[in-house]
Amino acid sequence: MKEYDSKNSNSILDDEDELTVKQLIDGLEKLDQWNPVSTPNLQWFQQNVELEKKRIRKKQWKDLLTFISVAVFVLSVVIAVVYRQPILFLYFQLVGIILLPLAFNNTSKTRKKVSTE
Amino acid sequence: MDEKDLIRKAKKGDTLALSKLLQQNYSFLVKYLMKVTLHPQIAEDLTQETMMKCIEKIQLYNGESKFSSWLITIATNLFIDQQRRKKREKNWLEQERALRKMKWNAAIMNEDWTDVLDVLAQINEEIRMPIVLKHYYGYTYEEIGEMMGIAEGTVKSRVSNGLKSVRKELAELEGV
Repeated sequence: MKEYDSKNSNSILDDEDELTVKQLIDGLEKLDQWNPVSTPNLQWFQQNVELEKKRIRKKQWKDLLTFISVAVFVLSVVIAVVYRQPILFLYFQLVGIILLPLAFNNTSKTRKKVSTE
Repeated sequence: MDEKDLIRKAKKGDTLALSKLLQQNYSFLVKYLMKVTLHPQIAEDLTQETMMKCIEKIQLYNGESKFSSWLITIATNLFIDQQRRKKREKNWLEQERALRKMKWNAAIMNEDWTDVLDVLAQINEEIRMPIVLKHYYGYTYEEIGEMMGIAEGTVKSRVSNGLKSVRKELAELEGV
């Protein structure tokens, strides 16, 4: 199924290119003829959509539970440290303040490298 | 019910509307994937994967492009990711096997195989895809760039160089 006519597309083709494009289009159209596609019935699609939605819901619950468990664990550790050894907590904060700009700097460098590739 | 209504309902969670939408675009998607992969089995598998992704991400479809173009974008990216994961040699062997099967199908139908498909199968899929999208489906360079996540200029050069190499290979085959 061609959505647009290739002659109306925004490219300027010379005669040789046009011939190649015509051969390409003919070849690809033949491919459709040789491999006919049979579309399954609507029930098959409905079944698949239902199954996939169920799988997504399950995955979302799993992710949420994992997130809550990790958050509760981290919070418990922080609270325990603050109550038992407040000085240790302050040290952690200090290390965090020093490391955060370094980590941020490294991340932005990596992003720059990726965007220039 | 037209496509816009189906999309609106599908985004609200209507399973029937989403199923109809997928059914309407199924054959278009398989045919597109068949042309870029030149491998019926991979095309079928990627169609399934694309549909699963579409069910998951339907909320993110903003309606700026046609629904079929959005599906092509998902399918294209899934194919690119899949090819990057696979080893090149294994790919080549699989491609050869698929071509033999398609040639067999053509022979059964008493049709002559076209050299252009052999040539297309030889070139890298990152070049084959923009050629098919540009010259068969008629998308603009900008649209193809957005679909493949590359710059418009890169698409232009891939299409132009790809077309040149297809012409050269065809001339060589016809000369033999």
